Amino acid sequence: MQPLGKEKNTYDGEHREPDKPLPQASRAHDVPTGSALAARGEPFLWGLGGALTLGISMIVGFIILILWNGLITFYPKPVCMATLKNSRIIAGEPTRSELYRVADEQMESLDPDVQDEIRANQGFASRTLYRTGNYDLYNEDFRWVSDFEVQSASMPPDIFFVERLEWGPFIGFIHSVRLRSQELKGESLELGSLYSEHLKAVRRRQDVRRIERSEIGAVNHKMEKERLALRRVALRHGEQSDAFQEAQARYQERVRALQAEYEQLHSEAESIKQNDAQYQVTLVDVSGREKTILLSDIVRFYPANALSTFQKLGVYVSRWLEFLTQEPREANTEGGVMPAIFGTFVMTVLMAIAVAPFGVMAALYLREYAKQGRLVSIIRICVNNLAGVPSIVYGVFGLGFFAYIVGASIDELFFRERLPSPTFGTGGLLWAALTLALLTVPVVIVATEEALAAVPQSMREGSLACGASKWQTIRHIVLPKAMPGIMTGLILAMARGAGEVAPLMLIGVVKLAPELPIDGFFPYLHLERSFMHLGFHIYDVGFQSRNSEAAKPMVFVTTLLLISLIAVMNAVAIYARNRLKRKYYVGHF
Amino acid sequence: MAEGIDTRTDFVQTISYPRKGEDGAVIEIEKFSLWYGSHQALFDNTLNIERGLVTALIGPSGCGKSTLIRSLNRMNDLIDGLRISGTIRFNAENIYNPDVDVIGLRKRMGMVFQKPNPFPMTVADNVAYPLRVDGIRDRRVLDATVVRALKAAALWDEVKDRLNDNALGLSGGQQQRLCIARAIAGEPDVLLMDEPCSALDPLATAKIEDLIYELRGRYTIIIVTHNMQQAARVSDNTAFMYLGTLIEYGDTRTIFTNPKHGRTQDYVTGRFG
Repeated sequence: MQPLGKEKNTYDGEHREPDKPLPQASRAHDVPTGSALAARGEPFLWGLGGALTLGISMIVGFIILILWNGLITFYPKPVCMATLKNSRIIAGEPTRSELYRVADEQMESLDPDVQDEIRANQGFASRTLYRTGNYDLYNEDFRWVSDFEVQSASMPPDIFFVERLEWGPFIGFIHSVRLRSQELKGESLELGSLYSEHLKAVRRRQDVRRIERSEIGAVNHKMEKERLALRRVALRHGEQSDAFQEAQARYQERVRALQAEYEQLHSEAESIKQNDAQYQVTLVDVSGREKTILLSDIVRFYPANALSTFQKLGVYVSRWLEFLTQEPREANTEGGVMPAIFGTFVMTVLMAIAVAPFGVMAALYLREYAKQGRLVSIIRICVNNLAGVPSIVYGVFGLGFFAYIVGASIDELFFRERLPSPTFGTGGLLWAALTLALLTVPVVIVATEEALAAVPQSMREGSLACGASKWQTIRHIVLPKAMPGIMTGLILAMARGAGEVAPLMLIGVVKLAPELPIDGFFPYLHLERSFMHLGFHIYDVGFQSRNSEAAKPMVFVTTLLLISLIAVMNAVAIYARNRLKRKYYVGHF
Repeated sequence: MAEGIDTRTDFVQTISYPRKGEDGAVIEIEKFSLWYGSHQALFDNTLNIERGLVTALIGPSGCGKSTLIRSLNRMNDLIDGLRISGTIRFNAENIYNPDVDVIGLRKRMGMVFQKPNPFPMTVADNVAYPLRVDGIRDRRVLDATVVRALKAAALWDEVKDRLNDNALGLSGGQQQRLCIARAIAGEPDVLLMDEPCSALDPLATAKIEDLIYELRGRYTIIIVTHNMQQAARVSDNTAFMYLGTLIEYGDTRTIFTNPKHGRTQDYVTGRFG
């Protein structure tokens, strides 16, 4: 049987006669090509692609900038010695060159032919920034030298770049070395033996430091404990009581013992110091000014222009190691950032520990148990809005609520003997972590809710139909299935929290923390201590230091480190999430 | 597998197949109406499901047959704004009594859904799930149940080497039989099947139908289906529903060959629906 309507259908390809024109109706749908372009959406496609390209190129450019500046900072640069036309001699690492407009007053004092040259160059001249070091001699670290000032320049092979514990680097020559009574000078000064002597001096310095910091620190810690114990007795029984008298006698006896221990350690340190003082090195700068320092005050020294590539790499690696493992010196512009790395890491981990159960439980209640209605909608809007509150507001809240209300109450209840100096009643690691947890909890709630909503209803029904209770269904079916999504939220929260600085400045981060939040004294993790943070370190080094030019490379290095730390933490979390995903999604069809 | 475990693959032979009306009603639905908010989905339905038989619910889309089957194990409780009137008695007990243990009720009524919904776990864990939520931890009991349920669901031969693979890796038909195995693992009295074959190809459908044929007698089976041939093939009794109302209920052969109502006649002969 012929299908109905076959003959009537003039649009049917098989049945239309070849020379019969297309019906008018189809012409009416012809449209000008211009609007066809718009209709196909091509311009929008270009716009979308362009936006993506722009975004990616900005991110890539940013990362390349950070990587490049961060990675070259520690590579030793050659030292250039320049004799100026006014017969002064300067030496330093050329850092960068630029064109500048020569001021009129300066022009007048220049030679006529130099003036002509500058005029030919439309009033611009080129200059180079030298890192001259020797802050103790010159009162400056950096100096601009215009090219026209320079008479001659050379790269002396025996010029040294000496990094010191104090006053920053010294650039100059080694005049003489005194090892006890022996004086080495000129020919007898051998670089190899100098390096090994320096190594010994560094060990002596470390010995002194170990005694002063950890051993005397331990004695001080015990003394403080005794004092607090006595104070506790005084608070409990009153200062007139027998118990107090007894405790005081005991206290004095113990303090005497500790005092003796302290004296002994102190004299031990002093004897090492006296020995150390006999090892000195006399440096001389390019203009002939001498400076004598202890050998142990030198961090690192190298003949800047006589290094092989291999030796340069050695210096590079040793600087990185110092940066990653040592404490900062010289108002954070030198030394390492280990306490800041540590503080950032510990705080982020604490924050994740605090935010994960909190956010997940809140989202579980909101999505699975709460009756979906107006109230839940309002709560959801509020949670979303919390994510948009400026982070400094959280800092103020954290300080006001956690430190001054909760912390002060804790002090009042548990640490009365330490008052008036606060224990938890001021900014610290715990309050910072909790403040950031509060800051990031909306991220976790939103992500968890989405992950829970993405679990198919059919799976819940299947579980309920098996006779599982609601909690069993959530526990065995919904949560495992949603776990990768929850982890994603947690990763986002950690990334946000680790990079946050503003609230931390109010609630526990300091530019130089005297102690790490984890140490060998009970309870090992000191949640009340203030700590250092890489983000705040960047701000402090870049904008609060005496010498911003010297700090600039450190800003890049620290930024590189912060980004790497966050990347590593995220990578670990993503690895964990993918393992979970594999566990629950093996071979989907 | 441990020795001496009753894997009971021979129940089809050992259990005598009940004849019509012999064992009485296991579920009695009486004047049951249901509203989703202000929309009434079921109107005063009354029917008795006979013990040990296969009962098919047929009718056009939106006629309320899924709603009715989901009312039997109170899966509709999940929906906000649900209202009911009338009674459903399961073994003479009103399941909508406030003091009824819903979880216990669901344990006695296994359910198979339209789309296969295995859990994201291994095949064995899927089948053992109803026992696990009961708190059974004994490996021997769990293993025995897994074997028995998989054999009963005619899946054992296909998955016996894949018991510890993820269940989501099975084919659609295997997944649905796994869901049947899971539903019968807890030894329910009733098996509710809500269009169990609608997402499957004809071969898989045939296997499920064979399975239903084998399982009848052991369980009271209620199956919702769009496929009238399927209803005719597998069921003993058939209920035809239209617009939330039970139009006709009776012996399958009668419904398909000699229906009392014109609408039933129209539907089973394909004139509408």
